[in-house]
Amino acid sequence: MATLSADNLTGLLIEWRAGDKTALDKLTPLVYDELRRIAHRYVRRERNGHTLGTTALVNEAYLRLAGTKNIAWNDRAHFFAATAQVMRHVLIDHARRRLYAKRGGQAQQVPIEDVSAMSEERADELVALDEALHDLAKLDPRKASVVELRYFGGLSLEETADVLDVSLMTVRRDWRAAKAWLYKAVNGE
Amino acid sequence: MTPERWQKVEEVLQGALDLPSQERVSFLDAACGEDDELKREAGSLISAHDEAGNFIEQPAIAEDAHILLGRSVGREVGPYTILECLGSGGMGEVYLAQDRRLDRPVALKILPAYLAADDARLRRFQREARAASALNHPNILTIHEVGEHEDIRFIATEFIDGQTLGELIASGNLSVDEIVEIVSQVASALSAAHAAGIVHRDIKPENIMRRSDGLVKILDFGIAKLVEHETPSTFPNIKHDARVQTEVGVVMGTVNYMSPEQARAVEVDKRTDIWSLGVLLYEMLTNRLPFIGATRMDALVSILEREPAALFVDDSKPEIRSLQKIVDKTLRKNRNDRYQTAEDLLRELKLVTNPSSLGLSSRSSSSRLTIQHAKSRKGLMMMAFGALVLVLVGGAIVFKGWISHPQTNIAAAPTGTLTTKAYLQMSGAEQLAFISEQEQRVSTMMGDRPVKLNDEALRAIKTYVDRWVERDGQPGDLGDESLNVVYTRAQSHVPLITRSFAARKVPVIIGIYLPVIESAYRNCYENSIGAKGLFQFLPQTARQYGVAHEEMCDVEKMAPAAAHYIADRMAELGEDSQSVTLVLLSYNRGPESVRDDLRELRDTENYQRNFWTLFAHRDKLDEQFRKESAGYVPAFFAAAIIGENPKAFDLPMPPLSSLANL
Repeated sequence: MATLSADNLTGLLIEWRAGDKTALDKLTPLVYDELRRIAHRYVRRERNGHTLGTTALVNEAYLRLAGTKNIAWNDRAHFFAATAQVMRHVLIDHARRRLYAKRGGQAQQVPIEDVSAMSEERADELVALDEALHDLAKLDPRKASVVELRYFGGLSLEETADVLDVSLMTVRRDWRAAKAWLYKAVNGE
Repeated sequence: MTPERWQKVEEVLQGALDLPSQERVSFLDAACGEDDELKREAGSLISAHDEAGNFIEQPAIAEDAHILLGRSVGREVGPYTILECLGSGGMGEVYLAQDRRLDRPVALKILPAYLAADDARLRRFQREARAASALNHPNILTIHEVGEHEDIRFIATEFIDGQTLGELIASGNLSVDEIVEIVSQVASALSAAHAAGIVHRDIKPENIMRRSDGLVKILDFGIAKLVEHETPSTFPNIKHDARVQTEVGVVMGTVNYMSPEQARAVEVDKRTDIWSLGVLLYEMLTNRLPFIGATRMDALVSILEREPAALFVDDSKPEIRSLQKIVDKTLRKNRNDRYQTAEDLLRELKLVTNPSSLGLSSRSSSSRLTIQHAKSRKGLMMMAFGALVLVLVGGAIVFKGWISHPQTNIAAAPTGTLTTKAYLQMSGAEQLAFISEQEQRVSTMMGDRPVKLNDEALRAIKTYVDRWVERDGQPGDLGDESLNVVYTRAQSHVPLITRSFAARKVPVIIGIYLPVIESAYRNCYENSIGAKGLFQFLPQTARQYGVAHEEMCDVEKMAPAAAHYIADRMAELGEDSQSVTLVLLSYNRGPESVRDDLRELRDTENYQRNFWTLFAHRDKLDEQFRKESAGYVPAFFAAAIIGENPKAFDLPMPPLSSLANL
């Protein structure tokens, strides 16, 4: 795995926040590796009956990648946001390929084994959620961010508030409204 | 809906949600007034809110972690259903699976195809694995089945729900008590296995697990035997994981736990396990490895020749001295000087009285023991130096690989005090003159008109030669072992190479030095990018030249293909050595990559058709070629000069060109 210096990571995160799309491309493989690690630990502990905060794991991932003790709060917040976004991309991409394969896309390009791990229902659900989230982002970007951080990034309400630099109360209210909105969009008429 | 409209809807929604549900209807009526649309929108969202329940409350990872982990979940392999991927490595992937017949969890190791294909070896492994399992020792993992399903070979074992020693070390929470306990349990298992004539051969943190109740289990008995004496591509521990990262940013795979006899590729016995366990003990106590290096080869050199730094600075406590003594005795280069049995080791571990009185939890920051700097500094310098040399010599070129050849036994080569050190005894000016003269000779052999080199080029070669032979005033510290290894191993391929290259009318000397340079310090291994090692190819190039992906580390297949490739490129780009050099550099980038550079170079004034034009005009090359050629050309000549003058450089072999009758 490529190693990043703290400066590099910070730099990439800043570029990404500034809208440089290639920065996320560079971040993705690193973050993805970490996501796999997190997933691995998650599954293990889950089986052992421990519940665990994804936040703690993401934090750990950040520490490992940045390799520094002096973590600027901003960097960490950006890292959390990047992780959530990469997770979303990975899952939605997977779900779309799953549905594509199912709908008789060119089977050759999508090995069935690659996609069969995700149920069709789940794939449908994720794709619908993703689309609804895109719509929500147009109406109310902060609420979409709250959902992305919480649902795809696994952050708690408190961490989400921290990352977005808003009050806990605001996140609570955003969350309940967004959840209702998305639920309706996904399941409604 | 517009954002403004949504703002309004949300305002009503939030207002309603702040109230108890029975009051919401009247609130809605009041808040929306005549705006029925607003009322309907807000109303439906309130219902959605009430119905949503757990919707998206669990993070996606809870449901989809397995998506990130792999594709095999749910798959059935014989009577086992795969539940989850536990990890993967050079030896294949390991899954948690459910045995449907006995309804119990098992760990399922799926062997990679290259191992599964060899029945004889598989049977040997099976015998050994079963034998170890049959010992029924509590610290040895029980094997349920070695089986086959469709084309898949697998090993089903007891499933250990715990952490590997690697994870435990990384977590940094091991106390000295725990460390002694873990090592004792491992020693106990080894003692039983050794008594039955079984050697593990691959004791390392990933092969040892501790359950939550503290019981330690050794995994993978017999596995090491399965992979040893294999074709170059499957040399054990080839996985270059980034697990071990030292303070100077050095990354190593699992070569770190190899014993000197394994490093020399000689027959091993039970004492090799004792060594590896000593490395483990050292690592757990100090959180660092006793033997490290920037590359595989450098780490091997370290194992063969260097003494590890003392465990702790402060050795005034008797317990520390006991541990130091134990570590020292497990890490004796000569196996006759080690503990001869795991029981001896176990006995001494028990004598480490009350280790908790050391007052250290080995990694709690306040009581962390610092390594003795005075003693380790030289080691670090050597390591850094070694890293530099290898980066320059090995890394300057793209190709890396270390020919592993069963017949060559490097221990049989004379080592230790070697008498001929002609080069080292020369003055600097004499060395330059020697290099100049030798360069001309090598150029001639390559079919190149010798040119008078400028000082820059000469010094560039000299830098490499110096680094290759540099011993820092201490015989045997660095360099000679690795050179021995590389040349001795390359030597055995010379007849094949000679045949292949002569058949394609490519200067044979190129065929010889190419693998010498490419194969410095690393064994051949394949990945999706290509073969890293002897005659490195891109997979598509290999295919084009009739070499299947899995044959890319097979010298018999690669040497003719490489000769063919070079001959084709020479026909296309020119036969001058300038072109050839670029062709060699293009090896793992495909022919397209050289064309523009060559065109550019030929537009250069004073373009001469020889190797050194490339070096002199490297600014004309693209970024990557520039980097590669700045090192490649002088390194190539340095290797050639060293290989041609084995006596001056203490190599136990004849000049390479004499092997090819040049």
